[in-house]
Amino acid sequence: MRQRRFKQVDVFTAQPYLGNPLAVVLDGSELSTEEMQSFARWTNLSETTFLLPPSPEAAAQGADYRVRIFTPGDELPFAGHPTLGSCHAWLQAGGVPQNEGLIVQECAKGLVPLRRDGTRLAFAAPSLQRSAPDAALIARVAAALGLQPAQIRAAQWLNNGPTWLGLLLDSMDTVLALQPDATALKGLAPGVGVAGMDAAPAAPDLIVRSNREARAFGARDAGTSTADDDTPSVEVRFFAPDIGVLEDPVTGSFNASLAQWLIADGIAPARYVAAQGTCIGRAGRVFITQDAQDQVWVGGDSVTCIDGQVTL
Amino acid sequence: MPLQRPFAQVDVFTAQPYLGNPLAVVLDGAGLNDAQMQGFARWTNLSETTFVLPPTPEAAAQGADYRVRIFTPGGELPFAGHPTLGSCHAWLEAGGTPQAQDRIVQECTKGLVQICRDGTRLAFAAPTFQRKNPSPGLLAQVAHALGLTAKQIISAQHLSNGTDWLGVLVDDRQTVLQLQPDHPALKNLGVKVGVAAVDTARAAPDLIASKLEVRAFASLNGIQEDPVTGSLNASLAQWLIADEYMPASYVVHQGTCIQREGRIHIRQDASGQVWVGGDSVTCIRGTATI
Repeated sequence: MRQRRFKQVDVFTAQPYLGNPLAVVLDGSELSTEEMQSFARWTNLSETTFLLPPSPEAAAQGADYRVRIFTPGDELPFAGHPTLGSCHAWLQAGGVPQNEGLIVQECAKGLVPLRRDGTRLAFAAPSLQRSAPDAALIARVAAALGLQPAQIRAAQWLNNGPTWLGLLLDSMDTVLALQPDATALKGLAPGVGVAGMDAAPAAPDLIVRSNREARAFGARDAGTSTADDDTPSVEVRFFAPDIGVLEDPVTGSFNASLAQWLIADGIAPARYVAAQGTCIGRAGRVFITQDAQDQVWVGGDSVTCIDGQVTL
Repeated sequence: MPLQRPFAQVDVFTAQPYLGNPLAVVLDGAGLNDAQMQGFARWTNLSETTFVLPPTPEAAAQGADYRVRIFTPGGELPFAGHPTLGSCHAWLEAGGTPQAQDRIVQECTKGLVQICRDGTRLAFAAPTFQRKNPSPGLLAQVAHALGLTAKQIISAQHLSNGTDWLGVLVDDRQTVLQLQPDHPALKNLGVKVGVAAVDTARAAPDLIASKLEVRAFASLNGIQEDPVTGSLNASLAQWLIADEYMPASYVVHQGTCIQREGRIHIRQDASGQVWVGGDSVTCIRGTATI
């Protein structure tokens, strides 16, 4: 055992303690998988990461660092908030990317590009597969969430690594008012994410037009006026009782697949801000942008809250 | 304006890092309000987070060396066992000097708690407790939720020392280790359950057994199985020593089924006071910006 540099970072927030925490061991070299798993079990956080030098093959393809991501029970090939938080910690600890504006992370799933956008970092949403869930399942999930059928505007199975059930509800208020029955929700889906949109920004045809404009001119310049400030236009909540998470504070992977779905179907504009964690005393903010090549980027602030050494 | 405050994350009831019960300790909690403390404790996601403060003048006059406030992710506790040992360990390691050499006095919301140094270990004085027989109906329901038959249960008691537990003494260590409780059912019964068995395997025939295997189920507090539980073991010791199921000094093993190796050292002194002791080891050292 020796002393290793350690940070505990709050992700998807600029305000300490209102986001999703991540434990980062900045030098994970010479630790066995068992040692990493046992430390991740002990931190009790949804994820703990270990930074390593990239493998030679990945370095040749431009990787700046390698990360291994653990939950208290398992290792993950990829995850959203651990990617942003690990990259933040790596940069803060003096990491210098090969390319100034683009960082390349190696993880078990492969290489993940991250871009810097002012103080924020954003990861490229992995490719998405989606399909329509059957009506009987939607009815059972609706009952477990306490929803009337008319409050559900659309539903999709979303798979970008993990598979989540996504529901689009009729308003942000409906999302905030949900009181899910965790026992009834168990066994229906690995995780259920719900989203509601601010009715104000535009009528549906205007949103579609702004989406087309975004594709045509590049999202950076063609975003709707509401996306230029940080006011959220989408409210998100995420429930995963099957993996012991009653309600997740801020969920990177779900926000990635949700954005790909809502933008592709013309429901959301190419740039928007999502809020998550509101009902559990958090104020997570996820900054979504689709670029001119149709790549969706999932961004957020990160702030280091605990800084020191771990004996591992 | 947030300050950088000295911080430690300590593993309690173990000498081997990452095999005990973790505790987050903010070593200088001065100037933080309740909402800030609660917000940080929610964020660490540990069963407890503590904030060390100077003792109040009244407590200092009665010998208190430091004051601690103890938070779970959902609320503040008047007292708790593993946060007491872990906070005292972190306070000593950070240079705290007690008024008496081998006796530390901790002020917490419940009052003053005596802590004694025993080599590398610290032990807290078990608080006074009350016990009573559970109703046969409740015990039958709890047995069913645990998957126990009536003849596997040797004795059972409601135990209360600030924290309430239903203590169940069963016939064999293997019975404890093989339990697969129905956690939602236990939660619906409204009780936290501690199950214990005397480990007879390693005791020579003419010796009183000196080892107890314990598991703690607390779905009521959102924790299916707690790794190592100070308050439960304090009450269990007072009950089991008084009723002569256990000798005046023994070692508890807890957390075995969830890949921990918690060790609690129980000792009743000549005055009858039970002491609950264990090692602590600091795993993370640094600053927290709060």
